[in-house]
Amino acid sequence: MVLLFPQSPRGDALARKYGYDPWLVSRFLQYVPDVEQFLDKMESKPTRYIRVNTLKMDTKSLADRLAKKGFELRQTALPEVLAVEKEPMSAGATTEYMLGHYYLQDLSSCMAVEALDVQKGQKVLDMAAAPGGKTTFIAQRMQNTGAIIALEPNEKRARSMAFNLARLGVFNTCVCKMDGLEAAKLGKFDRVLLDAPCSCEGVIAKDPSRKTSHAPEDVDYCSARQANLLETAIKATKLGGVVVYSTCSFAPEENEAVVETVTGKLGARVEPFGHGSAGLDSFGDKKFRMGKNTRRFYPHLHDTTGFFVARLRA
Amino acid sequence: MKYRKPARDERTIINRALAQWGVFDALKDSTLIVREDGKSRQACLVTPELEAAIANINPLFCGLAVGDLAKHFQPTMEGADLFARLSGGGRNYVVVGENAEKLVLYGRDVMGDSVISAADLSENELVIITNRAGEALGIGRTRFAGKSMMQKGRITVTTVVDAGRYLREEDGERQAKMSRSPRRRRS
Repeated sequence: MVLLFPQSPRGDALARKYGYDPWLVSRFLQYVPDVEQFLDKMESKPTRYIRVNTLKMDTKSLADRLAKKGFELRQTALPEVLAVEKEPMSAGATTEYMLGHYYLQDLSSCMAVEALDVQKGQKVLDMAAAPGGKTTFIAQRMQNTGAIIALEPNEKRARSMAFNLARLGVFNTCVCKMDGLEAAKLGKFDRVLLDAPCSCEGVIAKDPSRKTSHAPEDVDYCSARQANLLETAIKATKLGGVVVYSTCSFAPEENEAVVETVTGKLGARVEPFGHGSAGLDSFGDKKFRMGKNTRRFYPHLHDTTGFFVARLRA
Repeated sequence: MKYRKPARDERTIINRALAQWGVFDALKDSTLIVREDGKSRQACLVTPELEAAIANINPLFCGLAVGDLAKHFQPTMEGADLFARLSGGGRNYVVVGENAEKLVLYGRDVMGDSVISAADLSENELVIITNRAGEALGIGRTRFAGKSMMQKGRITVTTVVDAGRYLREEDGERQAKMSRSPRRRRS
């Protein structure tokens, strides 16, 4: 069950000031560092990032081409990802974008693929793949070798994803119309990515309606489904293989608690990962044994959308 | 949807096409499979590992569809992109200048003024339209032959498909959807 905390004058004032449901702010006050800075940052337009598609273009050449068009770009912690500091035209309307030389993708989202540590020739499962941003990044990290099986239950989203794969020149991937919970029948994989469907609290800066559009029950619903999906993901991974579990939610019930429950049941361990902030080791009366090894990304600390990543060794 | 190895006659058609587009050597050892849905067939580039992985599953999409297979082979936009990158140009490639680049990506035809180079082409030939960097912008059909391809004031290549089409369609769909369904807020 989602943990709710008594409302406080400070929480109520912040909820009123920033337009959130009070239950959400009272929870943020329990675990988000520097809550006011955090809420302030969520009011500003998030930094835009582009991920260079190295299957078609190297980072320097693309940066030079965009610089000639007046773009100002900044290197980030990942070599393929550039922050857009100035865009004289929409980054989604350039010739280079249309030709698939880059993909618009938040840095935090790329971190899930960084944590997956894919190698050439491996067999990889992407359990909730559409629209394909992470899948295409995995493909480029694998240099279009090996095999990626990408799952998406909605056919329209699967078609849209297939277009993204094609535009970026990916040929080591197939898209199956399938729910992630059915993944057990696909055999065993070297790497499994589960970017789980979630309450999306982390993208409030992009979609402010989420300040009031979800309820505690939604977090409970997501959490139960995420645990089932993560269990399936670990079972689909070869012994010694890596599972990356990620969400774009801040809710501990969707993050550390899911990892705690499933690793406790199946015996996988959480490995450290060198980006972001350490995850929570407790929330309310709940303790998370391996919470410190999970990673959290906060808009005000990491200049990304909110994100959670856990790297698990099967 | 079914994926299978190409039949012998299909392999012949594919090989001829690869030679025509200047990529036979680059792709002769690659794994190409055929996607068939009862109405149409496409040649898809895959990795050997992917071909093995789909033996017992039925994917909606697999690999990169490089061309439509009928009596002849017609490259898809993704195929054109791959061929242009691998071949570095050649016959059947028409190079256009910077001004035309954006126009082609928005589906416009090519004026002779914009053509920087075109080999000795015949009328009604299928060509890949590229920019100076050799990147495929679209697929077109010639309206003139030889040096007439560069004549001023006339459209000399009809754009059949362009690299910006799907993004335009998707954007249009998104905007139509947004105008249909106002955001609902929880009361």
